[in-house]
Amino acid sequence: MAVCIAVIAKENYPLYIRSVPTQNELKFHYTVHTSLDVVEEKISAAGKAMADQRELYLGLLYPTEDYKVYGYVTNSKVKFVIVVDSSNTSLRDNEIRSMFRKLHNSFTDVMCNPFYNPGDPVQSKVFEGMVSGMMVQVS
Amino acid sequence: MAQCVQSVQEFIQDSFVPMVAVLCSEDAEKVTRKNNLNFAELLRPFCRLTSEGHIRDPNNQVQPVKNLRISVNNVCTRPAPATGSLSPAQRRLLGEVVSSIQPPEGVTANIITAGDHDLSFNATTPWFEAYRESFLQSMPASDHEFLNHYLACLLVVSSSEAVPVEQFLKLSQEQHRIQHSGDYTNPRWFIPNTLKYYVLLHDTSQGDEQRADAVYEDMKQRYGSQGCYLLKINSRTSPTGADEQIPDPWSQYLHKNNLLSQVSAGEEMNLCYLMGFADEMPDSMQSHPLQLDCPPSGGLDSLGVLPPGGPTAARAAALAAAGTHGDCLTLNDHDHIRQFLQEFTFRGLLPHIEKNIRQLNDQLVSRKGLSRSLFSATKKWFGGGKAPEKSIAELKSTSGLLYPPEAPELQIRKMADLCFLVQHYELAYSCYHTAKKDFLSDQALLYAAGALEMAAVSAFLQAGAPRPYPAHYMDTAIQTYRDGCKNMVLAERCALLSAEVLKSQGKYSDAATLLIKMTSEDSDLRSALLLEQAAHCFINMRNPMVRKFAFHMILAGHRFSKAGQKRHALRCYCQAMQVYRARGWSLAEDHINFTIGRQSFTLRQPDNAVEAFRHILTNDSQQTATQQGAFLREYLYVYKSVSAESEASLPKLPLPCIHAAATRVYFGHERRLAEGEKQAATNVSLDQEYDQEQAVMWCQLEEQAVASAHRGVVPAAFQPSQCCLNSQTDNLRTPLAVVEEPIIVEVTFQNPLKVSLLLSDLSLQWSFTPRDLSSPQQGDLPSDEASGEPITNDKVGSLVQLYITLTAQSSQPLVVRGQQDLEIRGPRLNSTKEDKTSVSHGQDQRLHPLITPPMPLMEVFFLQFPTALLCGEITKAYVEFCNVSGVALRGLRVASTHPHFFTFGGVGGTSSSSSSAASTPLSPTSAEVCSAYHTLATPPGDPHHHLHPGHPPPPVYLVSSPVEGLVRGKAVAVEIPLEGGVLRPGQSAQLPLWLRGPDQEGVHEINFLFYYESAEKGGRISHRVLRHNVFICASRSLSVCATACPSSVPSADHRGRDAEDGDHLNDGMLVFVDVENVNMSEAGVREFHIIQVSSCSRQWRLHKCINPYKDKDCKLTSRERAKLCFRAARCKPLKGNHRRIACTPFLIPLLRQIVSSTTPCADFFFRCCPSDPVKKEGRAGGLSHPSSRTTGGHWTWGGGPIEAVVRTCNELDLNIIVLWKAYVVEDNKQLILEGQLHVTLQTVGKEAFSLPQKEEAQEMVLLKFKPDLPPPVIQPSVEQLSTLIKTNLHYPETYSHPFVHERLCVVPVTLTMSNCALAEVEVLIDLRHKTISPDSTEVHGTFTWLGQTQYRRRLRPQEVAPLPLRACFLHAGVYNLSTPRVFAKFTTPTRKEEEEGGVAVETSQQAASPALIIITSQA
Repeated sequence: MAVCIAVIAKENYPLYIRSVPTQNELKFHYTVHTSLDVVEEKISAAGKAMADQRELYLGLLYPTEDYKVYGYVTNSKVKFVIVVDSSNTSLRDNEIRSMFRKLHNSFTDVMCNPFYNPGDPVQSKVFEGMVSGMMVQVS
Repeated sequence: MAQCVQSVQEFIQDSFVPMVAVLCSEDAEKVTRKNNLNFAELLRPFCRLTSEGHIRDPNNQVQPVKNLRISVNNVCTRPAPATGSLSPAQRRLLGEVVSSIQPPEGVTANIITAGDHDLSFNATTPWFEAYRESFLQSMPASDHEFLNHYLACLLVVSSSEAVPVEQFLKLSQEQHRIQHSGDYTNPRWFIPNTLKYYVLLHDTSQGDEQRADAVYEDMKQRYGSQGCYLLKINSRTSPTGADEQIPDPWSQYLHKNNLLSQVSAGEEMNLCYLMGFADEMPDSMQSHPLQLDCPPSGGLDSLGVLPPGGPTAARAAALAAAGTHGDCLTLNDHDHIRQFLQEFTFRGLLPHIEKNIRQLNDQLVSRKGLSRSLFSATKKWFGGGKAPEKSIAELKSTSGLLYPPEAPELQIRKMADLCFLVQHYELAYSCYHTAKKDFLSDQALLYAAGALEMAAVSAFLQAGAPRPYPAHYMDTAIQTYRDGCKNMVLAERCALLSAEVLKSQGKYSDAATLLIKMTSEDSDLRSALLLEQAAHCFINMRNPMVRKFAFHMILAGHRFSKAGQKRHALRCYCQAMQVYRARGWSLAEDHINFTIGRQSFTLRQPDNAVEAFRHILTNDSQQTATQQGAFLREYLYVYKSVSAESEASLPKLPLPCIHAAATRVYFGHERRLAEGEKQAATNVSLDQEYDQEQAVMWCQLEEQAVASAHRGVVPAAFQPSQCCLNSQTDNLRTPLAVVEEPIIVEVTFQNPLKVSLLLSDLSLQWSFTPRDLSSPQQGDLPSDEASGEPITNDKVGSLVQLYITLTAQSSQPLVVRGQQDLEIRGPRLNSTKEDKTSVSHGQDQRLHPLITPPMPLMEVFFLQFPTALLCGEITKAYVEFCNVSGVALRGLRVASTHPHFFTFGGVGGTSSSSSSAASTPLSPTSAEVCSAYHTLATPPGDPHHHLHPGHPPPPVYLVSSPVEGLVRGKAVAVEIPLEGGVLRPGQSAQLPLWLRGPDQEGVHEINFLFYYESAEKGGRISHRVLRHNVFICASRSLSVCATACPSSVPSADHRGRDAEDGDHLNDGMLVFVDVENVNMSEAGVREFHIIQVSSCSRQWRLHKCINPYKDKDCKLTSRERAKLCFRAARCKPLKGNHRRIACTPFLIPLLRQIVSSTTPCADFFFRCCPSDPVKKEGRAGGLSHPSSRTTGGHWTWGGGPIEAVVRTCNELDLNIIVLWKAYVVEDNKQLILEGQLHVTLQTVGKEAFSLPQKEEAQEMVLLKFKPDLPPPVIQPSVEQLSTLIKTNLHYPETYSHPFVHERLCVVPVTLTMSNCALAEVEVLIDLRHKTISPDSTEVHGTFTWLGQTQYRRRLRPQEVAPLPLRACFLHAGVYNLSTPRVFAKFTTPTRKEEEEGGVAVETSQQAASPALIIITSQA
């Protein structure tokens, strides 16, 4: 399961970041921020012609020594980043994909909330609960 | 990777150059020492050859050698450090090199716009290039490659030597010993027979030139003309004149070398002493100042503070001590040296190399296997084939393999190196390639890696070769060096070369990966530099990767700081900051800011440090409390050291946040709540929240007061006075403060942190500008300090600026002192278009008050002021006005939201207690005995009059003019009666204050506004006000309901007087007063007593009480109801608005009569119904004007006169005042409360209530868009017309008649008709019985009227006329006599009737009540 899940706004500021070992929060922030470069590269590589049918799931952005960073970009350019422990080999690409889909659905629900102002940090409890379900359970 | 000064080719070429050793005799050393240089240093600037050389390859092809550089070094015999890592000294040296070069200041940095980021950073990284150069120079020679082995040796001997040739021999032997004895592992020599080049150094200033020439000739013969050289230097005898400008080409080389030598000197010294080689040591090293001054670099990781200039300054000092170089050399000498080097290279070195290449080639070709491999290799390359390579995994198994120096594999390598040095890259490549294959097959890892590296480099350098750069060779080489051989130094060199090559090919991504891979734990400096280069690679990519750049910059900064390179670390963090700043990545931003703060602090840039820390602490941080605590501690520490440095002015603290807009400013003393029994006026205080409605209300009250002070007109310059300024008040005006009165400033602080912040020693500082600059107060100013919060001004002028000085403290005992400016920005303007489009703010003058000359200051106290009252209850309180200032005040007024709530006693001195205004009030215990009403003792003879209701007491009249202002229907401030109208300084005045409970139950907020002016005119402040508000809880007492109906009987007491007029007039009115005890509280009020009912009217007065209780007390316990009946008589109307108050004492046993006309009863009455007269006048149309009566029915005005008359008949203007007493039990004591209720009777027959009816309150005012139409003439209704005439039958109640004797019984009956109207009425009386309805067929109940059946009469206004009638009865029985029908009509037709033909229609009048007569039969 994920060790860090982040939602980044179109303008590349964080809407939501949650990481499991809280003492490493700063590190995950840096990791997620840096991964945006790769996300941008991948989006621009997809080309403008293909923008319509672009696959939202970007796949593995880059592996670091300890973590694997996966990316997903919605059509409104909101980015989802999931960081997974490298040691966790049981996770398949499909599972990551379904995690992103769940995340996307949940985020859409947040956006549908008439009291949510787009661009504000996500503070939904439902969203939080869904994310918690996808995170590594710390004993 | 950053841009470099050199091109890649140049860089690689310069990295690998032919090495030449120097052996110098002592005398020769002395000659060069004159120039402050040793021989190798002397040559260094000229080591790059400007002209082109040529070399023949083994195939006799001429190969050009361009731009060759050679490296000349002293022979140094210290052992090489262990391969694989740099010695600590070398590391330190590299550190020095890097830290010595800082980015140039003031140079405009490169600006790159990537996405939405604008980054400015240094495009070049000279510190990195310097590091690289030093690093490559300090590479130890190793066995597996020959590139930095010495190719030749210069033997230098001075011409002043006694026998130079011998010296040459000695040196030659020395060289031979070093190379071949095997004592020394270092230096290493390229080829066994090293080229020896003999140089005779001649000092032209000293030596004999001919002798030198002779020796040279001798040498030429001995060593051949190509193996020796005569170098003449030191032509200058005198020291350089100031006018002569000789370029100093050494400075740029020695600059770097100073550091280099310092390190090597240290090592050399140790070594030389050990090995007894003191003469080898250059003496300049011993005296080098840096050796001692070298800053301790061991504690680089600590937070130690570097000296301000850093190493640069120290180095400059060293340079100055060393003096200039080449003092004795002229430009000619420079040329000589250059010529010498050219000669040596082209005549000596290149042929030597050429010869060796040829020799090696021959050797190799002679070896069979080799030639084959060589050829096959070339063939393979040109054929595009690829040699199979063994995997690294296999190579790893054996790494310790060493070849003997003469091994054939090494010969190939040697040849390849030679070719490489003379720029024959094609041949070099093929040789390297061959060697690589051999080494690989032998599993010699180190050798193979070296060959791979060089093969790749030479492949790259082949100009115009179609061969692609074999990057994988490099990767393999790096991996092998690092993992297989654990040789980080070589791996690093390899990576540096490869990265540079990749960069030149635009493969930034690969270069970055390569560089990042090379970072490791063993060397922070290297890691930092490589990370920084990697970051530059990211930013230089086609799609710049800004975030990666920033992230790697941070990593680099971290490593720099670990390596002690604080400046570089700070620079890196600052560059990274540009990416993270204000983009919501607050954790990262905080981290960077924190690091920047720390680094800046250690670099003695405290301002930057404070700035960076401020960012962490002010933005709403997501950090945990502990983290914030750490930040705060750090910040306070930094701050403290900063503030310690600058003593002059306190620096600004960012914490706590001041909410400037929420600042409240209060002008005036803090209010006193109470003083003994006295209760102070609430006034305005900082405790109160600002309420817009309240503010408007107070403003209106003030306006009223001002208007009344200015004869009803509010002056144009009127501004409501504001005592307490906050964000919602009007702050555009400069507030006015009075001299010597305090100004209280309330400042709102906020601690944005999660950790607590302890503030102490807060003080408000202010500066002051006197208005009159010529005044003597100028000297004391402009800045004063006041401790404590209230500041008192004793000067006239304006307050300019406020500061807050405070001491902040974290939980740790770390205390700092700072200040914050208190500046209030006005509200954002949003009225004009410019304001809307731009962000502009208005002015806020809250903190800039103008201090004005002294003004009076009044305090108001209340005594015995109640909190709960019954509705209508009247009680007495005292109010005291104190002038606490030094200025007299006058014009005291009060305006109130409830003007009918209070009245002041002591107006006419009628109240005994108010006769002396300043007298102390009676004690509360005696107050309860004291009645509110002034009573008049009735004359002793009168009481028995009261016993007979028929004899009313002499009525007491008051002809009073109601308070002028109240009549206008608008509340107006009441002037407070003061003795002389002025309150002197220090004086106080006490007045009784009567209060009357509001008519409606519930809690009432009552606001008073006291207004006063200064007795002296011309102040800046026209007036001052004092506010007071109280809450009164009113509970229900009595409910009075009154009705009036006209009486048909002429009033008895008027009969006599009216008789004089010759007429009987009907002007009586019956007034019924229903009083009900509606008090709900059962505990408190026991019973109510009605004491007196008074009337007030222009035309009416109550003059008789018809008391159903006779002489009984009118007591009302809970929910009881009493009905009182009064007779009202019309009296002569009074002129103007004057009204008459008549008292009808009701409570008979009370021997005293209350004078209703005196204070406070009348006051309250007039205040309570201020709007009545207006209403009345509007409706009655002035009908009650005296002229209407005197003209006697001649109606002159144009409206419908008759209608008006009719209406008047139904209207009456009568106010009834009910005075009562309530017996209340409270705390086991009986109290008597008094009160009064008012009822306004307006319409005859309609009920009027003392309590305002709810329906009225809900009345809605319709919005009207059109001007009102003239009201239509109201037609008198049938109902109204039917009450014109009142009839009464007078007859004996029982009548006995002897029916036996006489069959007919005739009874005389008088019908009294009274005209209620004020006009002449024609009355028709019809005595005929009505057409008998079917149900009343009862014949025996009938009687007949005798005589005329119809009468017609004219009745003058209010005339009472009797009409004698006779009724005839046939049987005994009970009869209803009220059968006559009465019709009436006005003699003048009403307008409607006029319209309908001018015939007045008679209206049936209301029948009188049944008049029963009993006829009995007499026996």
